[in-house]
Amino acid sequence: MSCSGGCHLMCSPVKILNMYGRKACQLVKEFASGEKGQLTPFNNDLFEQVVSECSQHHLELQSLIRKMQEEGLDVQTARNADHYGALIHLFSIVRNKRCLTAYVYNRAETVRNLLWKIGPVLPKEIEEKLNHWEEEYFKKHSAALKSYMSKALVDLTVDMVPPKDPYIQVRVLEDIREGIVLSDDKNPNFARHSMHFLKRTDAEKYISRGLMEELTG
Amino acid sequence: MGSRSAEGEQVPLTDEYDALISTTDVELLKRAWRNEKAAPEILRFESDLIIRVREQIELMEETVEEKSTVGTDPLSVSLYQMDLDRTLFLLRSYLRIRIQKIEKYMFHIRKTEELWNRLSKDEKFFTERCTDDLKKHLEESVLSTLPENYQSYERQSVISEEVDMVPEPRLDTFVLCRSKEYLTGIQLEDGPVDDRSKLFEMEPDVLYFICYKSIKPLVESGKIDLL
Repeated sequence: MSCSGGCHLMCSPVKILNMYGRKACQLVKEFASGEKGQLTPFNNDLFEQVVSECSQHHLELQSLIRKMQEEGLDVQTARNADHYGALIHLFSIVRNKRCLTAYVYNRAETVRNLLWKIGPVLPKEIEEKLNHWEEEYFKKHSAALKSYMSKALVDLTVDMVPPKDPYIQVRVLEDIREGIVLSDDKNPNFARHSMHFLKRTDAEKYISRGLMEELTG
Repeated sequence: MGSRSAEGEQVPLTDEYDALISTTDVELLKRAWRNEKAAPEILRFESDLIIRVREQIELMEETVEEKSTVGTDPLSVSLYQMDLDRTLFLLRSYLRIRIQKIEKYMFHIRKTEELWNRLSKDEKFFTERCTDDLKKHLEESVLSTLPENYQSYERQSVISEEVDMVPEPRLDTFVLCRSKEYLTGIQLEDGPVDDRSKLFEMEPDVLYFICYKSIKPLVESGKIDLL
């Protein structure tokens, strides 16, 4: 944002950029303006800046409180300039914290949804967008879901849409050579571009990994 | 199902058929699934129903297997298979909706006794794992980098008097619903304050678009179905 008109007498543009909480707001906006369900790379740089802003606020808050104590004021009840100054630092920390947490929390939600949409193995181009902690979290959450499904004896990752017909027509997009498991124990040749008539539940896992596509119409 | 009703006396066939159909477990599951799908919060786990449905699925699987080895004509096998697939879908989707609600509101569910008691044993275990994992993730990525008094995941700072950072489902959203019987004395929880003292009534089989909060107890007691 830039200052226009006579406003430059009161505040220079640089001051505005340093306004408390601005960076945290940018961080949240960055997430909110992204396409829903899609991740952008974790903005480490901006994130760290907000974190260090918090430490700075904390130092200033403490020094104001110390100053009040040295002046012999009761920190709980005194209502002088320093008290309000301290409040501004406190609110800034809390606001920054909310933004930081919202950023991580909402990304975590998107990360969990990847598990439903893509499955436990992420393609490289998506994995690159997660930071180290998010990768860990994805693995752990995926293990938790797997453990639930094995206890509850159901696979919740198939059957995402209501079945119309138990069989569907599919085209193989990439050669699938290994790990073919079908419920009728047959061993078909899933060569690239070949077409098959498969049970929907069998085909879904290949479709979600982008190895097959459903032919409709 | 149809044959049983035909054996009875000469009662209006369709009525009895409808009554019978509406109490089959698959139909009950469909109802539970619809309610769960439309309700903003997690509902009580239908444990008995789910046990019965699982048994039926097993039976259906045996039937399909038996028929296909005996060599019954493929069309009737595929009809049985389709029936089985549909039931399986309902079961999976029901459990999946619940799991996704848990994922979304895990902290809130874990700390709210009323909601916690609605979960199945497996769901409770899942929720515990989930909350531990997400809490750890938040702590490692954000909270541990903040000054000491601001490291709670539930409270904004140590001076927050109550839990003020845990997302909760919005119970004031609107839902489509229908009642089987005539209901009266429903207190509306939305709209202008003056109107709230008026009691609302519901005719049977009429669709209403209403604030979830107002009918929450009636959904829980099974008097109202969500759509």
